[in-house]
Amino acid sequence: MKNIAKNLGFMLITAGLTFGCNPLQLDDIQDPNNPSVGSIANNATSQQIQFLITGLESRHRGYVTNISQAWNTFGREIWYLNASDPRFQTDWLGQNGRVPDRSYFGFGNTGGGSWAAPYQAIKQADVLQLAAENTSNISVAQKSAVIGFAKTIQGFQFMIPANFVYQNGIRMDVSDPLNPGPFVQYDQALDQIKTILDEGFQALGSAGSGNFPFRLTSGFSDFNTIAGLQQVNRAITARLNAYRQDWQGVLTALDASFMNLNGDLTRGPAHPYGAAPDIFNPLYYVPNAAVNTIIVVHPSVLDDATAGDLRVQNKFLQRTNPVTVTTDAGALVGTHQDARWATNTTPIPFIRNEELILLKAEAHANLSQASEAVAAINIIRTAAGIGPYTGATTTAALIDEILYQRRYSLWAEPWGHRWIDARRYGKLNEIPTSYDGGAIFTQFPHPQAELSWDDYVGNN
Amino acid sequence: MSKIYKFLTTAAFMWLSVGWAWAQYTVTGNVTDERTGDPLIGASIILKGTTSGTITDLEGNFTLSLSTTNETEVIVSSIGYLSQTIAVRSGMSPLSIKMKQDATNLEEVVVTGLASSVKRSNLANAVSSVSARDLTGTTTIQTTDGALYGKVAGATIRSNGGAPGGGISIQLRGISSLQGASQPLIIIDGVYINNASQRTGRAAVSGAGGSNQDDGANRLADINPADIENIEILKGPSAAAIYGTRANAGVIIITTKRGAEGRTTVSLSQDVGFAKPLRLLGVDDWSEEKINFFFPESRRPIELERFRSAQASGNFVDYEDYFYNNNALLLNTRINVSGGDEKTKFFISGNITAEDGTVRNTGFERYSIRANIDHKITNKIKLGVSSNYIRSNTDRGFTGNQNNSGASIGYSIAYVPNYYDLRRNPDGTYPINPYFSENPVSVTDNGVNNSLVNRFIQAFTLDFDILKTQNSFLKATVSGGLDFLQNSTEVYLPEFLQFQSAQANPGDILIGKQESFNTNFQAALVYNWNLGSVNMNSQAGLVRLDFENSSLFNRGRGLVPGQTNLLQANIQQINEQFTSKIQEAGIFLQQEANWEDKIIGTLGIRWDKSTLNGDPNQYYAFPRASMAVNLTNFEFWNSSVISQLKPRIAYGETAGPVAFGATFTPLGGTNIGGLLGSTVSTSIGNTQIQPETATELEFGVDAGFFNNRVSLEATYYIKNTQNNLQNLNLAPSTGVNTTPSNEAELQNKGLELGLSGTVVEKSNFRWFSRILYWQNDIEMTRLGIPTYIAGGFGSGLGTFLYAEGYSPTTIVGSPADPTIPGGFTIWGNAQPDFNLSFYNTFNIYKGLEFSFLVDWRQGGDNINLTSFLTDGGGTTNGWFDDDNEDGIPNGRQREPEPYNNAGRWVQDATFVKIREIGLYYTFPRTTISNWFGNTVQNMRVGSSVNNAFLFTNYQGYDPETSTFGAQAVANNVDIAPYPTPRRIFFHLTIDF
Repeated sequence: MKNIAKNLGFMLITAGLTFGCNPLQLDDIQDPNNPSVGSIANNATSQQIQFLITGLESRHRGYVTNISQAWNTFGREIWYLNASDPRFQTDWLGQNGRVPDRSYFGFGNTGGGSWAAPYQAIKQADVLQLAAENTSNISVAQKSAVIGFAKTIQGFQFMIPANFVYQNGIRMDVSDPLNPGPFVQYDQALDQIKTILDEGFQALGSAGSGNFPFRLTSGFSDFNTIAGLQQVNRAITARLNAYRQDWQGVLTALDASFMNLNGDLTRGPAHPYGAAPDIFNPLYYVPNAAVNTIIVVHPSVLDDATAGDLRVQNKFLQRTNPVTVTTDAGALVGTHQDARWATNTTPIPFIRNEELILLKAEAHANLSQASEAVAAINIIRTAAGIGPYTGATTTAALIDEILYQRRYSLWAEPWGHRWIDARRYGKLNEIPTSYDGGAIFTQFPHPQAELSWDDYVGNN
Repeated sequence: MSKIYKFLTTAAFMWLSVGWAWAQYTVTGNVTDERTGDPLIGASIILKGTTSGTITDLEGNFTLSLSTTNETEVIVSSIGYLSQTIAVRSGMSPLSIKMKQDATNLEEVVVTGLASSVKRSNLANAVSSVSARDLTGTTTIQTTDGALYGKVAGATIRSNGGAPGGGISIQLRGISSLQGASQPLIIIDGVYINNASQRTGRAAVSGAGGSNQDDGANRLADINPADIENIEILKGPSAAAIYGTRANAGVIIITTKRGAEGRTTVSLSQDVGFAKPLRLLGVDDWSEEKINFFFPESRRPIELERFRSAQASGNFVDYEDYFYNNNALLLNTRINVSGGDEKTKFFISGNITAEDGTVRNTGFERYSIRANIDHKITNKIKLGVSSNYIRSNTDRGFTGNQNNSGASIGYSIAYVPNYYDLRRNPDGTYPINPYFSENPVSVTDNGVNNSLVNRFIQAFTLDFDILKTQNSFLKATVSGGLDFLQNSTEVYLPEFLQFQSAQANPGDILIGKQESFNTNFQAALVYNWNLGSVNMNSQAGLVRLDFENSSLFNRGRGLVPGQTNLLQANIQQINEQFTSKIQEAGIFLQQEANWEDKIIGTLGIRWDKSTLNGDPNQYYAFPRASMAVNLTNFEFWNSSVISQLKPRIAYGETAGPVAFGATFTPLGGTNIGGLLGSTVSTSIGNTQIQPETATELEFGVDAGFFNNRVSLEATYYIKNTQNNLQNLNLAPSTGVNTTPSNEAELQNKGLELGLSGTVVEKSNFRWFSRILYWQNDIEMTRLGIPTYIAGGFGSGLGTFLYAEGYSPTTIVGSPADPTIPGGFTIWGNAQPDFNLSFYNTFNIYKGLEFSFLVDWRQGGDNINLTSFLTDGGGTTNGWFDDDNEDGIPNGRQREPEPYNNAGRWVQDATFVKIREIGLYYTFPRTTISNWFGNTVQNMRVGSSVNNAFLFTNYQGYDPETSTFGAQAVANNVDIAPYPTPRRIFFHLTIDF
């Protein structure tokens, strides 16, 4: 009896240990949910390059929601009313003495959509360029096209953190995650961005002609040729040159861009949106919906409007019921909502012909070429139905007029034009705070995570 | 019949144990409870120094044949009673042995290793045991963790809110981990069970944010507390080292009830009860003056009109009362059948719990069937199986955080003045809520937040007695089991809701399926032998664990009216799909030595490896050592006052597992404009990542006084964790945000005291009392990465400081204070100063029993953002009062000055709760037999209250609340929670 038990026991244990599976043997477990970044490091397939390009388009729109809501609030183009979280009002409007700190509401430790998101697009473009350079599965011309596209997007994206922290400067050398470069002054950063855009333009130029060799989304449907992307590159460069106050450079870039003085003002490359698995246009709100989270037109925009301005008629919808949100800093009432988006899948352009014409006007004004400036202004005014410009033609007067027209032509575009424009002309004090009792911010400090990193590596 | 049966079992037992020897003389006797005089059935009488003996029969009688003619000693023992050693000799008259209840649990057997156990009086660790009587003897509690409040020194137990169906976190001896929930490993009958707080999807649909704001229940809620025989709590690495990689936050070992040899007992219990909110705060009244102050000019006319019309009709609605103050019916039915013979024993139980919540359309139903069967295949091979099928159906409603959707009662009503009526119109429609984006009445009536769990837990053990002599034995144990859990969730907001109809695609449904399959296997050899007068117990074994999880969530928006099938949605979306697979293996060795119950020592080690680690093939070692000295067992000890004095010391090491995926740097999938893309992840995998480890030194003393009527247990511990896992924040300008790191170190130091005893012990009155006290201090001894703040809702509303020299439970917030690391003002600390619990039970005459449990938590702050919301909406009770008479009402000017910083929401969460009160009457046997004859064996009736009273200055429904659920840190943020219920029950138990 005893022996039977003993033998059986040993048999079972031995069996357990040896029968096909050793309990101490572990499998090699790979990520069951995703491919790895390592998989595209060497000899990526053409299809993998395509996935990275589409991924870049996706990262490229990462800033839209945050910039549209926050920067346009800073410039008092809108109020982002949000009853669920009063800080969208109190903190973003600088009420009760609030000033941006290193982990400010809506931006967190990483700077969120105004810092981390554009840098993620820049990272994606870096990885895309590396993958393209390290593969023999695509042609030299294709590589050049990919690099040109990637650098063009990088140029656009670098401007976002640069304008967010302004004179605090940004990092430009960011390819090594464990060894980021120093902060570069705003002016120098803009010059380096210019170089990136120029390199992109040249790389596109070396890619031959005809169609861009990979698929782009419908956002680029008018521009998915080598030449088209070069025009986009130059349009972005024109915007950059205006920030660099290189007015001749603005005009040069505009000449190679898709600017068309007689063309559709709305024409331009866009971020596409759609139903799941895509995402919806984040700026779309159902007309007159009974909600208390909504972008509304800032009352100063309504108060300062020119009678009969078609832009006011077309872009703003007066609500049947105003939206009221109360916070511990008082109540805000929004009477008009954004009417620019027909549906929640309408694409959002990221640079348009209308802006290019206004840039042309601005460049001429600054170069004291008043008649050319007025001619460009009048294209905009005529389209808005408010007749030709009749005011003074001094540079200062023309700049005031151009800045006014930009408030309505570029109202609440995902860029925060008004905030940046007022700042570059020293007019932040002209942005009204009387409607909300808040304050106008000049710039943000570096996000906490950037400082923490410098602490960690002992740079400070 | 039963007498023959008894004779047979006794005979069989004797044949088994002493069959090889010739009896020389016989001792007979009777064993009874000293206080009540009731016979003790199944008490064992063992010849000292051997394994041979007998047990008492149904009348408490025994007959023991001894193989010697000499005078010798026998040990008489019975579970729950103090053992006695009695001298016997040939020709004695029958013994009459009166046993004392073991009020201080010295005799209790405590599981200390993977294959061994030890008597509590020999234990070198402060292992807490909670018996079935402690757990569920006073009142009926929905979930097992909820029944542990105040019963375990060193355990910080927090309820996330009052929603039916659980949602409780347990932290043993402070925080062991900075990430995840720092929750103990839970093992039921040897099976590593899933206690995850699973996603329900509510936070996605309501807009609250991540799944940690779902208020999902942790899945221990599936276990029927009435099935539990005993819970042992290994609080730290010194006791839990042999459990290795998953034991950093302690181990909770749950043992369910098993059948006993003898008559088949059928026990039927029925509870009927009701629940009401424990505490409500009231809402503020309005006046024309307040309306003129609160609303902008353009809104005043309509608000004044609404107010005046409410005044005229007297129609004011207290929304707190309307939504929360409902009577909830609580029903619990339990049936147990247990019994067995010498070869086979069984315990079969069924449980139906059907409890409504105090919010309409919420509730918890649990159906549980269990079969625990023990069978002797041969005399040397024993098989035990435990099978448990559970179906839990939980509707938790819509409370807590939200964004924009209005799908939270508390969040919405914070903004609605009591003069506006949101209740349903006679035609079935609902008024538009002009104060927020949704009518919460309609959400409560029509929304669905359901979780349906189907679960099967199966355990088995096979014991082989390989060798057995009088002085040694060798046995092998092979055990293991599985836990399969499927959770089907549905969150549904129909298209006609106010917020939904304002969307481009009205109607929202999120349907989830989560499956987890855990298996574990263990094989061990145990050799018990004697080295001189030292009893040695040697163990060696191996452990294998496998965890597989998968989830799939699909969302449909733009729904056909009334339809909840995803194919009836305009927008169909895969919301989440995630799969994980984890494998772990370990080897252990343990050596215990016991010198005549005087000095007891243990040495052990476990080596573990895991596929979660950077190097899946590297073994990590977790050693342990402990010693206890029973001074009172030495011959020199001679005190009539101190009956037990045991200094003890223990050391051990454990680890906490790396999160799944920490080694991966993935390319994420993305869809834009009809194309599929790959995006570079914002986190970089760390292929060097290691488990976080903890070392703990614990020492203390156990003392018994007055013949062990009173006992004192005092323990001090120092627990240091190293290689704590946390994300290293990279410069976000490099396009990546985080990478996992092993840098931080934490220290928890604490004191645990327990004083218990029988204050009065008379035949008609017995009073047992127990006081537990515990405290814990945490310090981040090393951070290793830059100081950071995290958790909660940012610095403006209170967040947590991760800095060297501070506890991570430190609450900081605006305004900025550059003198403090992290740059913000310190406003509080979530860690309690101390906890104290006070339990009393009174036995009056024979059948009446009254008991109560008081739970006191001193200190510890909450971030009360419910106040933040109601202040924003002007509905906080007393909002328009003006305490400092400066013309600005309190609701716009909360202290401390300058009134707009985070400090105003940080509130002291000290409380005293009367957790449990119970009063029971057991009918005397004579009465029962008069009424029912022999059919009914036992009958008990009673009444009880759970969460009877709450005393606190905290300005919320309950100082225990967590909008983020179970988390290591930031588990004390209050956002419009489901109010905690007070539960009142009537009980009836009949044993057949």
